[in-house]
Amino acid sequence: MADRYSFSLTTFSPSGKLVQIEYALNAVNQGVTSLGIKAANGIVLATEKKSSTPLIDPASSSKISLITPNIGMVYSGMGPDYRVLVDKARKVSHTGYKRIYNEYPPTRILVQDVARVMQEATQSGGVRPYGVSLLIAGYDEGIEPEQQNAKPAGAEETAVDDSAEDRKKTTGKTGGILKGGPSLYQVDPSGSYFPWKATAIGKSATSAKTFLEKRYTEGLELEDAVHIALLTLKETIEGEMNGETVEIGIVGPPANHLLGYEGVEGAQGPRFRKLSPQEIEDYLTNL
Amino acid sequence: MSSPFSINGGACVAMRGKNCVAIACDLRLGLQSLTVSNNFPKIFQYSPTAFLGLTGLATDVSTVSELFRYKVNMYRLREERDIAPKTFAQLVSSSLYERRFGPWFVSPVVAGIDGKSGAPFICGFDSIGCIDYAADFIVSGTASDQLFGTCEGLWEPDLEPDDLFETISQALLNAVDRDALSGWGAHVYIIEKDKVTKRLLKGRQD
Amino acid sequence: MEVLLGITGKDFCIVAASKAAMRGASILKANDDKTRTLNKNTLMAFSGEPGDTVQFAEYIQANIQLYSMRNSSDLSPFEVSSFVRAELAKSLRSRSPYTVNLLLGGYDSIKQKPELYWIDYLASSAPVPYAAHGYAQYYCLSILDKHHHPDISFEQGMKILRMCTDELKRRLPIDFKGVNVKIIDKDGIREEPYSDDKQVYAP
Repeated sequence: MADRYSFSLTTFSPSGKLVQIEYALNAVNQGVTSLGIKAANGIVLATEKKSSTPLIDPASSSKISLITPNIGMVYSGMGPDYRVLVDKARKVSHTGYKRIYNEYPPTRILVQDVARVMQEATQSGGVRPYGVSLLIAGYDEGIEPEQQNAKPAGAEETAVDDSAEDRKKTTGKTGGILKGGPSLYQVDPSGSYFPWKATAIGKSATSAKTFLEKRYTEGLELEDAVHIALLTLKETIEGEMNGETVEIGIVGPPANHLLGYEGVEGAQGPRFRKLSPQEIEDYLTNL
Repeated sequence: MSSPFSINGGACVAMRGKNCVAIACDLRLGLQSLTVSNNFPKIFQYSPTAFLGLTGLATDVSTVSELFRYKVNMYRLREERDIAPKTFAQLVSSSLYERRFGPWFVSPVVAGIDGKSGAPFICGFDSIGCIDYAADFIVSGTASDQLFGTCEGLWEPDLEPDDLFETISQALLNAVDRDALSGWGAHVYIIEKDKVTKRLLKGRQD
Repeated sequence: MEVLLGITGKDFCIVAASKAAMRGASILKANDDKTRTLNKNTLMAFSGEPGDTVQFAEYIQANIQLYSMRNSSDLSPFEVSSFVRAELAKSLRSRSPYTVNLLLGGYDSIKQKPELYWIDYLASSAPVPYAAHGYAQYYCLSILDKHHHPDISFEQGMKILRMCTDELKRRLPIDFKGVNVKIIDKDGIREEPYSDDKQVYAP
């Protein structure tokens, strides 16, 4: 019987709620705070790395993960569930995209794939929802925001101007996915996802978001965003703040020094990278 | 003669010009030496500037063209953008290799212009998806030997759209006239960054 | 020695199929109907491996009829041809493919145009103004090349069909027992009386 039928644990309550999903969100809201801020030229993901004992080697545990060269993510909630999702995100970015198109998925496509995995856990038999919320940060090639806005002002040659006009039109029609540049998404246990300019998840998400609302400005530079991220974290952090206890991932300019080789024309390094404890210390001293 | 690639006959060629590309095919559908139809185009459009030419077994030309119509439509819906020729070429390659041990009997050719950079792009494939990138021209079909000759003779770098049209048309027409399984009219597409011109060539009808 | 012929004209489509059912050198039946009506305005003629032909044709017929019942609307000839081709293409790469050649004659009541599709057992499909399958191709296509025109009237179409069947009688080594002639036009599908008794002698 048990192996022939398996029913979804997530069923509607008479009031129309899926309480299993609400419980999963409760798990997220007990988790360590993570936050993300989108700048004009990049994104910063930041979280606190808590360890219950000083005997743990801090370098061996890590909460921010690289998914593709240009996409990374962080979580609040249950660590083991997160690692499963990281594995699945990395796998689907290859099976569902790179092995087909020989290029990595755009951020939104990856976010949708991960969101699908999480949604399926709310409707399948014999499984429970994932107890995590994710922040996914990525960078896409395409028409970058500043390029797009710059066009109408320029008094260029007419022919060139026409094609730029056309392109702008198609951009509008297709909902602007041609738009490149950085994007930051949050994915919840229900499988819903939202694009953010800046947000926080986890225990102190509400207060952190209030803080971010005050500090966030349009056209922020990446360096300023890292600064704001650390300030926000400082408000909520419980222990000491240093390179060992804070984890930061950034989407920035191509990091060609991470390629491991040089001299190949057109080769571009990863845009998503984690900051080393030393780099974080440097930011902290300037706080 | 009983090779699946030469039952129905047909020819296709793509050429690179200056800020433009061209792709052309014949219109014959035959059964060995017997011509059944002179209205069987082998070029298909998958985005404003991405085109696929398919020669080989006619049934697979239809099946594969429909398969890519499905895949590219799904791509456009999912990603809310048109597929770039380079990306499309990779999709063709991986889709063909999926059938590594029971291939579609087609020799595809991709031609297009990158929507963002405006760079011309052409490439060809074998029937299991190995990509043949080229800076000059790509040929396929039963007249491919003849097309290699005419293209080697006529093509030159940096042709303007009008000259490229003349070159590809003469290359195709004179190649198919020397192949019994190809011909009976032709379709020629000249693809520029924001303009595509399709011309129908009557060709010899004998 | 099965004969399938199709001719379109200005506002009609003629489909003719030989009446002989053969097994080896023997004729088993002289009034065989090698056509099936798919819907109000599409007819399919078939030849090929005995057994496969009727099995495949009636499978297609059932599915096209099912579509009409479910949707209270008929598929157009082009839509039917796509479905038939897809089924045949699926069959081609299966463990035991159908060996069936087809002519699909139809009248598109929206475009108000007759249509004819030539489909072989490999599922190669092409829209054509006139078509034949089997040996009839070698004898009739040249006649049709010479005399056919897209704007021919029904009478002219029948005249060309007669030229074709006469030539077949003259050249084919086995009697195919004449042809069934079906007409598809704006009023639907009907059988056209066609006399086969005239003797034709080889030159």
